[in-house]
Parts: sequence; C-alpha cells; structure tokens
Amino acid sequence: MNGALTTPNKAPLATLMSLIIPGSGQFMLGHRGRGLVIFLSTTIIAFLVNWALVNLKIGQITIGGLITSWLWLSFILLWGWNVLDAQRAAAGKPASLLSAVACAAVILYVIAWNVTGVKLERLVTRFSDARIVMRQLANPELALTNINGADKTCSWSCLFAYWGDRLAGRQPANPVMVSSDVLDIFGKIEKKAARGWQVNLGLAQKGEKVNTFIAGKMVETIAIGLMATLFSTILALPVSFLAAHNIMSRVRGGTALYYILRTILNVVRAVDTVVWGLLVIVWVGLGSFAGVIALTIHSVAALAKLFSEEIEHIDPGPVEALTASGANLLQTIRYAVIPQITPSFLAYTLLRWDINMRSATVVGFVAGGGIGFFVVETIRAGGYQQYATALWAVAVVIILVDLISARWRERILTDQPVKEAPKHPTLNLLRKTVYIILGVALFIYCWNVTEIRLKELFQPAPTFLRLVSDFVHIDLSKAVLNAVIQQMLVTVFQAMLATTLGGLVALPFSFLAAKNLTGKSRTLRVIYFATRAVFNVLRSIEALLYVAIFIFWVGIGPFAGMLALAITTFALIGKLFSEAIENIESGPIEALTATGGDALQVINYAVLPQIVPPFVSYLIYQWDINIRMATIIGFAGGGGIGLTLSTFFGSLQYHKAGTVVAFIVIVVALMDFTSAKLRENLV
Amino acid sequence: MLKVENLTKTFPNGTKALKNVSFEVADGEFLAVIGLSGSGKSTLLRCINRLIEPTSGKVYWNGVDVTAAQGTDIRKIRRQIGMIFQPFHLVKRSSVYTNVLSGRLGYVNTFSSLIHMFSSDDRSRAIASLERVGLVEKAHVRADSLSGGQQQRVGIARALMQEPKLILADEPVASLDPVLAHSILKYLEQLNKELGITILCSLHFLDLVHRYATRAIALKDGMLVFEGLPKEIDDAQFKAIYGQEAERVSIT
Repeated sequence: MNGALTTPNKAPLATLMSLIIPGSGQFMLGHRGRGLVIFLSTTIIAFLVNWALVNLKIGQITIGGLITSWLWLSFILLWGWNVLDAQRAAAGKPASLLSAVACAAVILYVIAWNVTGVKLERLVTRFSDARIVMRQLANPELALTNINGADKTCSWSCLFAYWGDRLAGRQPANPVMVSSDVLDIFGKIEKKAARGWQVNLGLAQKGEKVNTFIAGKMVETIAIGLMATLFSTILALPVSFLAAHNIMSRVRGGTALYYILRTILNVVRAVDTVVWGLLVIVWVGLGSFAGVIALTIHSVAALAKLFSEEIEHIDPGPVEALTASGANLLQTIRYAVIPQITPSFLAYTLLRWDINMRSATVVGFVAGGGIGFFVVETIRAGGYQQYATALWAVAVVIILVDLISARWRERILTDQPVKEAPKHPTLNLLRKTVYIILGVALFIYCWNVTEIRLKELFQPAPTFLRLVSDFVHIDLSKAVLNAVIQQMLVTVFQAMLATTLGGLVALPFSFLAAKNLTGKSRTLRVIYFATRAVFNVLRSIEALLYVAIFIFWVGIGPFAGMLALAITTFALIGKLFSEAIENIESGPIEALTATGGDALQVINYAVLPQIVPPFVSYLIYQWDINIRMATIIGFAGGGGIGLTLSTFFGSLQYHKAGTVVAFIVIVVALMDFTSAKLRENLV
Repeated sequence: MLKVENLTKTFPNGTKALKNVSFEVADGEFLAVIGLSGSGKSTLLRCINRLIEPTSGKVYWNGVDVTAAQGTDIRKIRRQIGMIFQPFHLVKRSSVYTNVLSGRLGYVNTFSSLIHMFSSDDRSRAIASLERVGLVEKAHVRADSLSGGQQQRVGIARALMQEPKLILADEPVASLDPVLAHSILKYLEQLNKELGITILCSLHFLDLVHRYATRAIALKDGMLVFEGLPKEIDDAQFKAIYGQEAERVSIT
C-alpha cells in the first residue's frame, strides 16, 4: 500500500497504536514488515535490558531507592522514535532509521561490552606478555644448528646465514638441519619393520628394518581434509537429489521427504564441525578417524544443500524435452540433469575441500589427530615456539590449498567447450591412467594415515547409546536453561563485538588492498601487496588457533575469544571490502567529475552509494559466521557457549550437553535466516 | 489421427489458458496453430502429450485416450509423439550425438541407458537422423558450440529418434533469423511429405503458415476462433484473430 494514499486522519490512530504496542501503528498503515521488525526488536531489546540488569547488574543505577538500569532511558528514546515514525508514516514519509539504530546500538554495545568482559587496560598493562608471545610467533622453531658442538634451535637468522653463505659460494659456517618440530609437523623418515606389501613386491625381506616415512601432524591434517571431502561428496550426491524440489515434486510423497531432508540438513549444518567432533569421539574414540567423521557429517549437510540448490536452478528445458520423448525419471536425471550440474558440483567440491582443510586444522582440538591436537599439546606444555611453528605450517598449507582450489574452480566454471578432438588420444589415455593410479595410491595412503576403521562405526561404545538417549531427553530444567541462555547471549554478543572491531580496523586497510586505488605509484603497489599478504596469512588460520595468544595476553575468557574472532574477521572482511571497492563502476565517478564535482563530492555521491550496501551486507554475513565460530571458541578457553558445552561433555552430563546443542542449532539457524533476509533487503 | 475434445486448462493461479477447444488432425497433415502470444498455443501443444495436465476434456491419439493414460502408458504414447521447442532445449554441455541419442530413451532399457549403452541399431539411427538434418560431421562437438539454427536441427534429429508419427513443434523458428526459419520449416515439410509424419506446429508469421501448412487453426484468449485452409484467412479473419490494431507483416 502506498503511504501517500492513506488519509491524514489515520495519523492519530497510528500514533496511539504505536504508543501502546511498538510497530502496531506502522503495521496498521500497511508497512507490515517494518511494523513487525519494530515490534520484534523492541521486545528483544527490552528482554535484554531486563536480563542484563537482573543477572549481571549491567547499567544498574539507584534513583531514590529505586534500582533500575540507565539503559531504559535509551529504550524510551527508541520507543519515542517508534511513535514518531508511526506518525510520519501516516503522512507518507517514515522517520530516518539512523536514530533508532543508534538507540539500539547503545543498549546492545553496553551489554556486549560487559558480558564479553572487555578489559581494555589489560591490552596495555600486559603488553609485555604479548610481546613475548609475538616474538616467539615471529620466530618459529624452524631449524637446528650446531654452534661449537652444541645443538641449538633457531628460526630465520641461521637459515639466512646458511643460504647467504651457500649462494655466495662459501662453505657455511654452521651446519643447519630441519628442526624436530618441523619433522613432527610434516613428517620424517625412520627405520621401521618392512610392511607386507614391501615384502610381497620383493622390496624388502620379512622383518627387515627399512626407511619408512612417518606422517607428520600436517600430513595427517591434509589426509583428514581429503578423506572427508571425498566421503562427503559421495554421500551428498544421492542426498542432494532427494533434497531438490524440482526432482522430488515429480515423485509421489516426495515433497514431504524434501521438507524433512531440508530440515535435517539445516540442523546438521548449524552444528559446527568441532562440536560434531565432541559427539563422534564418544562414538569411535579419539583420533584422526573421529576427525574425518566429524568433518564428513558437517560437510555432507553443507554440500547437499549447495548441490540441491544447484539442481533446482538447472535449465528445465532439456528435462521437458526428454519427458516429452517418453524418458522416465531416472533417464531424465541421467541425460538432462547430470550433464548440467557436473561443473558446478565439481566447483563446490573444491570449495568444500578448502573449507574442510581449514576445519581439519582445528578438529583435533577435541577429536585428537591432526595439527589441532599438536597445538593443544604444545600450548599445554607452554611451548609457544612450537605453537608458532605449527601456525606457520598451517598458514603455508592453507594458503596453498586456497590457491589451488580457487584456480581449479575458475577453470571448471569457465567451462569452455572443447572444439577439436585431442591430438594424441593414446597420450591422453596414458595421462588419465597415471592420474587414476596416483589418485588411488593417494586414497590408500590417506586411508592408512587417518586410521579409518569402518567396522568401529557399527560398534559404538556403550556410552554413545547413552548419549543418543540423553540427546533425546534433554535437560530443560530452569537452572540449566538459565546457564545456557546466559552463555548463548555471551556468544552472540562476543560475535557482535568481534565483527565491529574487526570491521572497523579492516576498513582503512581495505582501501590499501584495493587494486584500482593503489596502481598509481610504486610505494602504493608495495603497500597493496603487503596488505593482501597480511590478509591472506591471517585468514588462513582459524580463530580457534589464535585464542592461545590472547589467553596469554588478556587472560582466559570471552574477551580473549572475542579478540581471536576479531583477527579472522579483520582478515576476511578486509578481503571482502577491498573486493567491493575493486568492483565499483567508474561510470558514475566519471560523470560526477565531468560535472565539476571535487574529490569529496565524488566520494560522497559516486563512491559511497556503491560501497555502503555491500559493506553492510558483508558485516551482517560476518556476524553470522562469527556466531558459528563463537560457539566453539570456548574449547580453547575463549569463553561463551563452547566452554559450557565442553564442561558438560567432559563431565558426561550428556542430557545437559544436548540442551546446549539444541540451543546452538536454534540460534545459528535463526541468525542464518535473519542475516539472509537482512542482506536480501540490502542488495 | 489426433482428436481433441472440449479441452480446457485452468492454471492454479486462475488463468484460463484453454477454453473448450475441439479439433481433429488427420494423418499426414501439416497443421499450423496461430494466435497471439499468450493465446494458449503452447498450453495446447503441451496438453496433447500431457506435459501439462488438462483440467478437463479429452485427447485421443489413434483411438487411445491420452488423458486417461498413467505411468508407463503415458510414456509409451509420448515416445510416438516427437516435440520440438522454441529454445531448442538441448543439453548444452553434452555432445550433439548424446543429445540425439537421448531422444531414444523412451524405447531403451533403463539400466543400460544409465551407463550410456545403446544398441548398434540406435547408434546407426542417430547417425541417420543427423544425416537427414545435415549435421553428421558435428556429431561429436558440444551442443553449445553450434549456432541457433544448427541446434534446432539437432532438436529435429532428436525427435526423429522416436520414430514419431506426430511431431509437436512449439514455435520452432521464433528464436531464429528469418532465413533460418525457412530452412527449419523445410526440414519439417520434408518429414511431413517424405515420411508422412503429421506435424502440429505453432507459428507467429502468417506467410509461413501460407507457405507450409496444409491447414490452420487459430486460438484467441484460449478459444478456437478459426479452423480451415490458410488461404481462407482474409482480412476480417485476421483482425478477429490478432485484434483490430494488428497489421499484416511478412517474413521473407
């Protein structure tokens, strides 16, 4: 309904309605969505102000013996804005959102600041501690050198000295070897009894000691990521067809199955890989195998969703054509659907491989196995230099994976038809055969490294059965609910603060990382590459791995977790912002410059309108991601719901852990939905 | 023989696309269906092979009630009726040969077709179909590397794989250049004259109707407003079909 068409005599009624129930006036005037949003947000904010006052005494003041919260003042302003908005809406021009957002922001940030336990002074007073960690991070244990007969670990200096000597043609002063950390991380060669296949191939005698490659923690991590990607792709394929509406609506009873499956996929996806890890270790015990299963479960749900959406968006023409020719459903899928979806499926699998590799670096925090487990052990032993080596290793591997996956995806999605037949068919065949043999060998190797024992899947530990039954009968007693809601709110606010902090810091840097703004001088080019590199390195390491640094700096708790999240947010948002800046159209800039506008005017009228909507949209998206990440940040001491969950799991109180998981699913799904809706309205 | 009786289609959103349409098509005819966009031509063609479920009315194909057929039966009827589409509806990433072969799916065993196994008969039939439309040398290129006219010829070859007795052509030349339009319709004319395949073809341009069709029917707002020989469409008829403001345009 058009606001201009409503008669002026509706204004008093609308104003009165909104005065009594926020948003109801707007709703009555036909601004249904706006009214609903106003009603919901005022309700939620009122609940939060009251909750923060009662539980945590946030904003508490005493006026003449009355204990209340000064945040109510801001809330009254918000209410007043709503009444004004209703009155203005009746006149056809609703009030500006800015003041409402400001009122809400004051309340939200004050609460967030308190529940996250922000202690800014610690950043300064304990800076010396931070410097120690920083120094160790900058100097990982890379090499082992021998000076005057004594072994000594070293990081960059001895490597530089060694290679400097070598390149200059001199005999290096001191020998340099790879450090034991690097060997632990990437792998080493040891004498081991010959394996069965080596004996069978005649490479070794039975019982003979031969050189064997012992996989390092990073190799294990890579294997976990690869196996999980393979398994989840295979499992997601059939599921995705059952979760595609255009396929299922052709089968009797299919629509019901479609809705059930979609719900299950969304629930499974809402639970983070690391949380799945907690459940899986009860099932098959600690180890890389548990990591593979946890990754596979989450990945199947995520991939099946993407796959089925891809199936739903195919060109329906060929399907119609084959149906018209009398083909049955299976034949239609084989000849009209599968050829259309193959490239995007491959691209999604590669994207998932990238994500799985990242998850594989942290799943070891709970599941054991992989570099995550190594990190936990080094932190417990206080070996920050070893921890640093691990972080560097993760950065190198993930950046490589990211690069390979992105290049490969680009090539697949370009999808150019091959116009001529291959020149050497036999050579082509040979190459394919070699690839297949290599692939199979890699598969067998990864299978062994990750210690996959499928039999154990069907022989779950007795506690697992208890876990399943406890998860059905979750604890909904008041005490548990209170604790869970409190920690859940901490998690949401932690994510909000991290998004704000990371986003604010990223903003100036994103301009430096935009190609179109930095092409002018050599210095700027250098800054561009340096900023990009910082973004990429920081982005390659999961927030969970950063927590240890901040625990050392500001102490255990949500503040440390928030800072860790802020680091990854900074890197990701910085990258996204800079890409948004690179994507602005030069047309409007040219047009405004031509009219004689100065630089500021050009920025204000031609640049900002183009970048603000994507920026806000990315921030909302990042908040959504951060909430997911914040649910696990507690496993490393970062506070929030993750801490509660690991406590309940650790003390085998599965019925309480079930409550936590249920809340995580609800909150994450809700945020997912809200963020998608908000972003839809922005673009 | 195809017989359509009182065919009515009302879509769930309330649109009445067809209202009590009845007509007959004798074997060997080239029947043009004319009318404005949205007059119900596409819906009519799709109701005949039940790609769209008619609301009421009957369709008889050689005495068999198409509207009553279920499951396997409807597929057996469909495989006797070829269909050609305005946007070609080829699988773009598959080869021309695979696209043509897929027209045979209604006849072959499901399992062997899933692993892309076709009998030597079917394979030589695919080559023969491509020869008929003059594209045999393009058999192994991807469908999206062909031009629009070539893609529609592949569409015809795919329909031929069904050994159809009737071909439904839904605006087969509307997305093509005028010159190509004649080439495509000439292929259809050949199929009609040489193989005796009945053609039911919806067309936009009246001069194409005059040139190729043996008989024509016209739809307006879902109702049959004309049935007769193309030359019987005089100015009065023309205005009745296309509206008072319409002008005759021609395509060369």
